[in-house]
Amino acid sequence: MIQHSISKNIFKILVLLSILAVNAQAINESDIAKQMQSKIDETTNLLKNKDIAFKDKTTQIFETFDSVFDYSSMSRIALGKQWRKLSTKQKKSFEKIFTLKLKQSYVDKLNLYTDEKVKIEKVEKIKRNRIKLYTKLIGQEEIYDIVYKFHKSKKNNDWLIYDVEMIGVSIMKTYRNQFKEFLSTKTFDNLLAKLKTKTQ
Amino acid sequence: MKLFLFFIFITTVLFGSTPSNNQHVKNINQKNLIQDDFDDEFDDEFIDETDETTIYDPLIKYNRAMTQFNDFVFIYILNPTAKGYSYVVPKALRKGISNAFHNIAFPIRFVNNVLQLKFQNAGEETSRFLINSTFGVFGLFDAAYYTFKLDEHNEDFGQTLGFYGVKSGPHIVLPFLGPSNLRDAFSLVPDNMLTLVYNSNLTYEESLYLNTFYYVNKTSLHLGEYESIKKDAIDFYPFIRDLYEQKRIKEIEE
Repeated sequence: MIQHSISKNIFKILVLLSILAVNAQAINESDIAKQMQSKIDETTNLLKNKDIAFKDKTTQIFETFDSVFDYSSMSRIALGKQWRKLSTKQKKSFEKIFTLKLKQSYVDKLNLYTDEKVKIEKVEKIKRNRIKLYTKLIGQEEIYDIVYKFHKSKKNNDWLIYDVEMIGVSIMKTYRNQFKEFLSTKTFDNLLAKLKTKTQ
Repeated sequence: MKLFLFFIFITTVLFGSTPSNNQHVKNINQKNLIQDDFDDEFDDEFIDETDETTIYDPLIKYNRAMTQFNDFVFIYILNPTAKGYSYVVPKALRKGISNAFHNIAFPIRFVNNVLQLKFQNAGEETSRFLINSTFGVFGLFDAAYYTFKLDEHNEDFGQTLGFYGVKSGPHIVLPFLGPSNLRDAFSLVPDNMLTLVYNSNLTYEESLYLNTFYYVNKTSLHLGEYESIKKDAIDFYPFIRDLYEQKRIKEIEE
């Protein structure tokens, strides 16, 4: 019995290590569809597993996806022209809280997951440094188009996600518009405070 | 086709907008030329028609109030009803009912596909309707999708008008129905005339019940989504207005 549980644990550790090993690598252009498919499958299988607590699932999911999401570019996109006016310290604190907001919002959506399937449709290179990955989420009632937008990072030529579009709605665009409207009447510190209350 | 649409979009942004908008675009371009050498590679991509400066919203006060009213209706009436209903009625049946409602709305999709000259889609919609009404047992099952991989092609009159270049007009939040705009709200009338309910001899009260049932059933399949979206918002009204307008632009493009 004890032996069994040890071997089970070792198995778990091996699985975890192999997941980490895959994710430590950056995504290559030719592998985008394949890698994303495996990440998505991993996630949906994890979500279906009823033996794991939801909290543990989310930590594991972020381990899977953190290496492909470009949170710092997302922060810059969300603030638009305001970004350049900020000090390095302000940029840092915004990036931290906005990343948390994005993750929480994502977890919130995962919580709604029931038995949807995700299908990768195609990869389209729209520019030298832009790739779109088209996927379909087969929902309960309808099929939703979800597009992951990748850009080639200048730092190390990795392909990273800077925006996700669901049924034509760009997540980054909605944040950008919201922040712009908010900042037209209020200060940057107000925005940070507001985000803080929103992430509690 | 995509390139063509993109071209139209660029021309409308650059030349078709009002003088003040035009000025706005010019200002941005000039600013970019001056300050931004190679810094913001994302700017071009995110400055566009759904920018809040260009969403036309003269009714903002009314819209905000109506959004609050709808929110109240949803939170205190529709959502609890749908929750209770979802306990009683199994999911498979609720899905079936939703499929059946979708199936009988076939004339709307057919006519609007034809109006937009999407004849192949209109044909596929017809096949879907025939297959689902027979093999799919009065539309309860989406047999056409599962056996013949026939996808839906949702089109409504608002999309048809958009296809022919009609602009959205001011954003309007409709009581109970939520975000819309002048073009789409007006389009509900012709679309409604194509529904079976309108053409049957149901009394006003009966069709009201049927509509309510439709929304309760629909909500029961989307529990928790509204609350989740609400949490994403810094300011709820402009947020869902933006969601709606972005979604419509995409639907018309397709």
